Amino acid sequence: MILKMTLQGGLIYLTLTLFVAAAAALRVGRRAVGRGFWFTGFAVAVLSVVWRGIHTGHPPMQNLFEFFLCMAAALWPLSQWSRRRHGLDTAMQDALLGALILFPAGFVFGEEVRRLPPALQSPLFVPHVASYVAGYVMLARAALIALPMLRAPADEARVRQADAASRQTAVAGFLLLTLGLLLGSLWGKICWGHYWQWDPKEMWSLATWLMYGGYFHYRLKNGLGNPKALAVLLWVGLLFIVLTLTWINVSRLFAGMHNYA
Amino acid sequence: MKSFLDRVAGLGGASWLCGFLSLGAVALAFPGPERSGAFMSHPALLLLTLALAALMLYHGARALLRRRFDSALLHLGCACVLAGWLTGQLAARAATPEHPATGAMVMVDGDVTDKLWAGEKLNVYAGRLPFAVKLEHFFVERYERNAQDRDAGRDAPVREYRSRVTITEPGRAPYVANVRVNHPACVRGYHIYQMSWGESADVYGRPVTYTVLQFIRDPGLPLVYAGFAVLFAGILLFAVRIFRARGGAA
Repeated sequence: MILKMTLQGGLIYLTLTLFVAAAAALRVGRRAVGRGFWFTGFAVAVLSVVWRGIHTGHPPMQNLFEFFLCMAAALWPLSQWSRRRHGLDTAMQDALLGALILFPAGFVFGEEVRRLPPALQSPLFVPHVASYVAGYVMLARAALIALPMLRAPADEARVRQADAASRQTAVAGFLLLTLGLLLGSLWGKICWGHYWQWDPKEMWSLATWLMYGGYFHYRLKNGLGNPKALAVLLWVGLLFIVLTLTWINVSRLFAGMHNYA
Repeated sequence: MKSFLDRVAGLGGASWLCGFLSLGAVALAFPGPERSGAFMSHPALLLLTLALAALMLYHGARALLRRRFDSALLHLGCACVLAGWLTGQLAARAATPEHPATGAMVMVDGDVTDKLWAGEKLNVYAGRLPFAVKLEHFFVERYERNAQDRDAGRDAPVREYRSRVTITEPGRAPYVANVRVNHPACVRGYHIYQMSWGESADVYGRPVTYTVLQFIRDPGLPLVYAGFAVLFAGILLFAVRIFRARGGAA
């Protein structure tokens, strides 16, 4: 546990507090207050990303700390999108997800500024990482939205709504995941000489991609015949993402080409 | 026969195959890049990859006939990427010292050579390039020092490695190329990479800085890139279809 006694740290802790307060207010039915906190939290999260960019002088996507700051700032717009398109009120769970994402940024990762090594000086850097950031957030939300499908016997309208919303969110995430994978592969060819290096992080990312491929195939084959299985597949995908971001990044077992984080 | 085909090649089987391949990818994350790469270049694995590419081709073609263009592009894209990877692997196997596929050279300023080397210590002769390379100068540029660097008592981080080389191809006037990290040069089908560098001493004990350039020839690359484009187009169409579907349709 590290406490960050800097402006950056202050912004992160303020966002965290606002997110938790938003979730709490929404939980007890104070919707207007909750929405206010939720939006203010988003504004501070964006400020935190912008300040990091100004402070470091490079796009704030170099390491996990910066990656997580961006993820937390991406949640509010996605929440709005779900509300408009699917009529789902996901503000509370999104605020909690945001707090969960910001916790490691606030208390675990260091905020030292490192100047970009030559390998990271590429126009593909931002699109590659940004695709993964947005894709991971989308897929995490898809799993959360699919939660009602786990409860049996569920009421059918609710399952249909959860399925449509989670599948559309998942396909957007899958699209971004594919883009991130292909851009990463292209960058690998330009930077390392090979588009595929059998690097542990590459392998876990491919495994995640294939897992969601399995989900879409299953959904096409069985329709809504077994909503529980669909939700479970989305949660397995999320488990792979969480493992990619934690174990694979931190463990020496998986040393490879991606050791920038 | 048809029901058997449906079971093996149908969507139920496809989910299983995706899951199985996913676990395979996880398993290959453990041994590390070198051992996994060596494992995958085994002939049996190449044959399995070929079978997978054929399966993707079959599904792509079938989807095309049924006018399911998203599925067709997705599967044909995958087949194309796999075929491109196989082409690269076969080219590496068929490489001869007269026409090497990969190799590296260690150079100090002023060196001229067309010989490539392989192995961990770059002491195994890998072959001869169809052109000669002369290292004009190797540059290492560092960031300006700041307070953190001084406190740590070390050099500022490197901002750029650059090898300025002169390429001499037969039938062409020599020309200068700059090889930097993220900016490979391309000569006669070989991509040239700034791979590594280091400091050593020459025969008189004077310090020298050397650069390591890597040369890679991969005839499968156009297929792989074409596969990427087709695959991504397929995913876009698929996403559009799901966004248009209402309720449980599609």
